[in-house]
Amino acid sequence: MNYPLVPARAGTQGHTGGSSILDSRLRGNERKSCAWALAFTFAAALVPPCWAQSVEEKAQLCAACHGENGIPQQKGTPVIWGQYQGYLYLELRDYKSGARKNDIMSPLAQSLERDDMMALALYFSQKRWPDLQQQSAPPEVAARAVQANVSVGCTGCHQGEGTQPRLAGQTAEYLHQTMMDFRNRVRGNNPGMTDLMLATSEQDIAALAEYMAGLQYLGGQ
Amino acid sequence: MTTIRMILASAAAFALAMSLTSATAQQSKRGQRPPAAAASVAPGNVTQDMLSRAAADANNFLHTNGDYTQKRYHPATQINASNVRRLRPAWIFQTDVKESLETSPIVVNGVMYVTTSFSQVYALNAQTGEQLWYYKQPLGPITTYCCGPNNRGVAVYEDKVYLATLDSKLVALDAKTGSKVWQTDIADPELGYSETMAPTVVKGKVLIGTNGGEYGIRGFVRAYDAKDGKLLWNFDTIPENSVGVWAEKDATGRDMKRNIQAEKDQLAKTGDPYKTLGGGVWQNPAVDLATNRIYFVVGNPSPDLDGSLRPGDNLYTDSLVSLDLDTGKYVCHFQYIAHDVWDLDSVSPPVLVDVRNNSGQLVSGVIHAGKTGHVYVHDRKDCSLIRFSETMVPQENMWTLPTPQGARMLPGANGGVEWSPIAVNPPLGVSYAINLHQPMTYQVQSSPYPNGKLWLGGAFKVIPGEEQAGYIVAVDYNTGKIRWKVKTPQPMIGGILATAGGVVFTGEANGRFRAYDGRNGNVLWTFNAGAGVNAPPSSYMAGGKQYIVVGAGGNVQIDSKRGNAIIAFTLE
Repeated sequence: MNYPLVPARAGTQGHTGGSSILDSRLRGNERKSCAWALAFTFAAALVPPCWAQSVEEKAQLCAACHGENGIPQQKGTPVIWGQYQGYLYLELRDYKSGARKNDIMSPLAQSLERDDMMALALYFSQKRWPDLQQQSAPPEVAARAVQANVSVGCTGCHQGEGTQPRLAGQTAEYLHQTMMDFRNRVRGNNPGMTDLMLATSEQDIAALAEYMAGLQYLGGQ
Repeated sequence: MTTIRMILASAAAFALAMSLTSATAQQSKRGQRPPAAAASVAPGNVTQDMLSRAAADANNFLHTNGDYTQKRYHPATQINASNVRRLRPAWIFQTDVKESLETSPIVVNGVMYVTTSFSQVYALNAQTGEQLWYYKQPLGPITTYCCGPNNRGVAVYEDKVYLATLDSKLVALDAKTGSKVWQTDIADPELGYSETMAPTVVKGKVLIGTNGGEYGIRGFVRAYDAKDGKLLWNFDTIPENSVGVWAEKDATGRDMKRNIQAEKDQLAKTGDPYKTLGGGVWQNPAVDLATNRIYFVVGNPSPDLDGSLRPGDNLYTDSLVSLDLDTGKYVCHFQYIAHDVWDLDSVSPPVLVDVRNNSGQLVSGVIHAGKTGHVYVHDRKDCSLIRFSETMVPQENMWTLPTPQGARMLPGANGGVEWSPIAVNPPLGVSYAINLHQPMTYQVQSSPYPNGKLWLGGAFKVIPGEEQAGYIVAVDYNTGKIRWKVKTPQPMIGGILATAGGVVFTGEANGRFRAYDGRNGNVLWTFNAGAGVNAPPSSYMAGGKQYIVVGAGGNVQIDSKRGNAIIAFTLE
């Protein structure tokens, strides 16, 4: 991916080019951990956000995958703009602890402390969920999805704002991949979800992904 | 509400408080209406004496379940079986929260307190439905709960209103203004703890259990100081030695198909599973003031369906437990289902009532209606079981073990009497319970403790297309026989109220709120509330008239139509 070494952004506190990565304004400990993080991830051509001072600056790095306007670069990457703060925090926490594994997110999360995670989560939760222009599911698919929900009880947890993520309007590919990853135990940070996906047929999962992606959220939020 | 309105409301309330005479129970004669009086809208001071005598207080509804014995038997007789057909709405209050509504309205001297999902509180004029104040708890980003972001109500004592929140905090509000007086953290939501229940206040202590049996918590009942929120005592519902006696039969004498040897082998390998064994307490304890004891029931072990990780009886899950009120020390227990793998746990709050034992003697009893479909009757001296009733719901293949593909058993996990409180009519000697019949298959999958995430150990799957139903059942607790039974089109969850006027009130998922003849189950009155009536009704007097009030906001667990209404009814 085309990824800048430094978030070039007007109005920040004077961060300029790559030559001042180990800026003398950083405190000693931060510099040391930044150096370690840099060395560790340099091979992957990724720069950790640890040396960005503000939440906005940290969040700029996220835009590279999750989109400048909240619309992800690739369909398999989830929307995080407008996602619930509690959920975003827990995923960052789980990436750091290794409960959830991802080649890109895991190293990024290593440099975040709990306060950073909460702040980033809050930042993105306050953004507006983008309209991805995904089609509403056709009637027979919708009927299948609704029936699956009656059986397994998705909306029993996935409602309101809190710790369970918003699903409506998420990318269809990410929804489908995630449900299958739970089912196949590729994603291991929620065995409850694994149990529920094992209790759901693959056809139902496909219908659920298509249905939820196409849900319009009235009010535009 | 703006600050200015709040100040004005408080001033008005204070002025009215000065003109109040007495808070003792005053009832107008049946059919006679006294001249319209100014609304009593001052909460006044709720004394311990008032709380202790609530069962005889027709004016108020001071406890989540009526009084400390939890009979939900309101003493007013103005509304009765002959005139209830004239009941009509007096007012409707629409909250700002259109979500699962499980609140038991509390009424103190003309002020009503109701709560909504997401731990919000409204104070209303009980006669007119006008809002007096509104409190919105700022919830933290992590809320981990089962079965809906619910709240079942507040407790009142002295000049404060007590609320337990979805992010596991205990809050004391000023009863007149709704401003926060103190707040205390209960437990960590990231580990699966939350609160959906109403507190109980007695002798200066705020009693509270915890949600979280679906998350691998270690459950508790605690007492906090009503004045400042300091922790007074903690009782772990899961003892360090949770293994018990390796009971192979349940309370009704049926074999639970345990593999005791496999469990003992597991115990030898992994030790006592107490740290993440579950055991939440969903509902208020009953308080026996004479013996200074409390009685409550403990919910399911974690993970719900997978017993392989938790060898032993899993004490005190699925049990009636009694503690000393002052110290929180254990007095006695009775376990309904040892090593439960069906989530047919004990959640409906127990009721203190005199019962006949098997020798025909009248003894101090405690009864509990289970998710199994039975009403269990105990001697509260030692928690021993006297009898259990005929089953209120269909039972099939008990106790088939869950399988990876899914095994069918009735009741399903949404079965029998869930958290819904029952009501008891002592002169008739019957309990009234609302039940769920929702056929399910039980699927088991094993996974290790997930650090505060959902931990069911499998899945409960509703069988699509198979008939579901609800049952309102009157049980003679001195014989265990069913007196009458009414079938409803949808499973029932919420609550029921009995009155001394001989009427029983309860609502349904389709929006119907009904009055029944307590002697025979005949329908006497119906009102369509427009959203699921899945909350316990309350009753009170205001301006000389008796009111029935109930929440109509639907429910997450049975996915009934959501709404936001609190509706009060009175005779026309």
